[in-house]
Amino acid sequence: MSALTGTPSSTPPTAGRAGRTVAASIDGSAPRPPQALRVKARKRPLPTAGKVVGIVALLAFALFPAYWMFSSAIDPEAATRGARILPAGVTWDNFVTVIDDGGFGHYLRNSIVVAIGAVVFSSVLALLAAVAVSRFRFRFRKSILVLVLMVQMVPLEALVIPLFLQMRTLGMLNSLLGLTIVYIAFSLSFAIWMLRGFVAAVPVELEEAAYLDGASWGRMFWKILLPLVAPGVVATSVFSFITAWNEFIFALTFLQQSAKYTVPIGLQKFFGENTTDWGAVMAASTLITLPVIVFFVLVQRNLSSGLTAGSVKG
Amino acid sequence: MQVLGHKSPLRPWLLLAPALGVLGVLLLWPLARVVMISLQDYGLRQIASGESNYIGFDNYAAIFGDSFLWTVVLPNTIGFAVACVVLTVVLGTAVALFLNNLGTLWRTVCSTAIMVAWAVPAITGTYVWIWIFDPLNGLVSSVLDSVGLIDPATTNWFTERLSFYAIATLNVVHHGFPFVAITVLAGLLTIPKELHEAAMMDGATPWRRFWTITAPILRPVFAVVTILSTIWDFKVFTQIYLMPGGNGGNKEVFNLGVWSYIQSFAQGKYGMGSAIAVLLTLILLGITIVYMRTLFKEEEL
Repeated sequence: MSALTGTPSSTPPTAGRAGRTVAASIDGSAPRPPQALRVKARKRPLPTAGKVVGIVALLAFALFPAYWMFSSAIDPEAATRGARILPAGVTWDNFVTVIDDGGFGHYLRNSIVVAIGAVVFSSVLALLAAVAVSRFRFRFRKSILVLVLMVQMVPLEALVIPLFLQMRTLGMLNSLLGLTIVYIAFSLSFAIWMLRGFVAAVPVELEEAAYLDGASWGRMFWKILLPLVAPGVVATSVFSFITAWNEFIFALTFLQQSAKYTVPIGLQKFFGENTTDWGAVMAASTLITLPVIVFFVLVQRNLSSGLTAGSVKG
Repeated sequence: MQVLGHKSPLRPWLLLAPALGVLGVLLLWPLARVVMISLQDYGLRQIASGESNYIGFDNYAAIFGDSFLWTVVLPNTIGFAVACVVLTVVLGTAVALFLNNLGTLWRTVCSTAIMVAWAVPAITGTYVWIWIFDPLNGLVSSVLDSVGLIDPATTNWFTERLSFYAIATLNVVHHGFPFVAITVLAGLLTIPKELHEAAMMDGATPWRRFWTITAPILRPVFAVVTILSTIWDFKVFTQIYLMPGGNGGNKEVFNLGVWSYIQSFAQGKYGMGSAIAVLLTLILLGITIVYMRTLFKEEEL
């Protein structure tokens, strides 16, 4: 982690010459002074000119779609915006339109209900399973881990046909409960995989100390393990929430009455009926996107370490 | 021995049972069922009656005998996935190397920005790209119109297969490069700086240092991000389905996932749709097995 504290600006990367950001940084840092001055260079607070260009290009590329979405949503003349970089004015009318006339207040509520239901159940099930695979050595343990990984690769297009038929038979096609049950299954394997890393990070010695003090397994779980993996559970829950919030293909197939739409389907139907009302479409998109961005950026550190915990050493 | 007493052989299975039950009922059983449906002529009549109607491998024969698969669907699926994976990994790696050379403050700012790109949901991101490339009032056509490059009245990028997929590629790469960048950056931070310093003293160029130091050490990281990206990009559905023409209006732009979905839910040919879905699953299974091999070589589970 030493690299976090400061990097010598005299080691420009060249691997991806394709990226203009990187190409720019080479030009900027080429005339850097030799070894002896490196320590001084390391403390320079401002990036070099080449890096500034790189940073600006990267920020512009990364943020442009989100900016274009939000700025069109508040633009009173969004539909004829063309190439205007700044909106013509600031209005909240588009948001009022989609919530009042577009039914998005209702869709948002449906999405929250489904996502929270999926999060609660999948987190509990995933935590128990993660404890099993990271704290116990038993037969078929490795097979189960392989299974958990494998099911993440299954394309939803292959599951949607049999599950549609099944839910149809059970009469749960138009129900938020049916959708919630399906989402529990989809977030489960990823949640197990991610929580596995968090559980494994808790020192076994803490558990053993609890047993020596006479605690039962259940007591150890509540008093020792759960508080220590709580941050991991939160990060995993946020991810499960986002998965359920964004899911499109099952919601599209299962939900046939507008009273039951979740936000992705609400947006798709709204766009179908108001194809050129870009201000309203972007306002609805902003309503869907904003909570995801906030959650995602909040848990970014945990998420990326959890994602790579199973796959990358170190 | 006291400690071992808490590890009764049944406990892990009790902890696993609920999760395995859910995965079995909602993932494994449906997978078995989609294979069974793919061997039937399963249409609206069978849905209503609940009867089975096995026809062997006729659906598969029909798919493989259809030139639509070979000239449209497979080229779309594979060409799109390859383009997306290459661009995502190259761009993500370039960004990671760039971030690795920034100070803490700017690295945090930039990685937060690319997290935003990552977080934008596929569905809303797709609508933004549709809006940006909208033929009438979109940003790109307005700019190109004002410099006289195109006539917006006669230009519609969504109807042409190649330009349709170019926009979809931009959408998917923009959504996918942050994962590669963040993962590769995490790997870069573990490489001891002394290696690069020693190579620099020997006069190695940055290009050479990347290929002789960074690339070999991060080989497993590159393997994982490449294979994961491949799996994700093969089964892209939402971004294609939502673009104009992608939901059935323009057969030229179908990929395997969209073709399967349209066959099933628009045409009512669930058997045929299932067979296409099984084909997609088998391709992904092959890639997944490569992924597992890579993963288990690097890590003790």
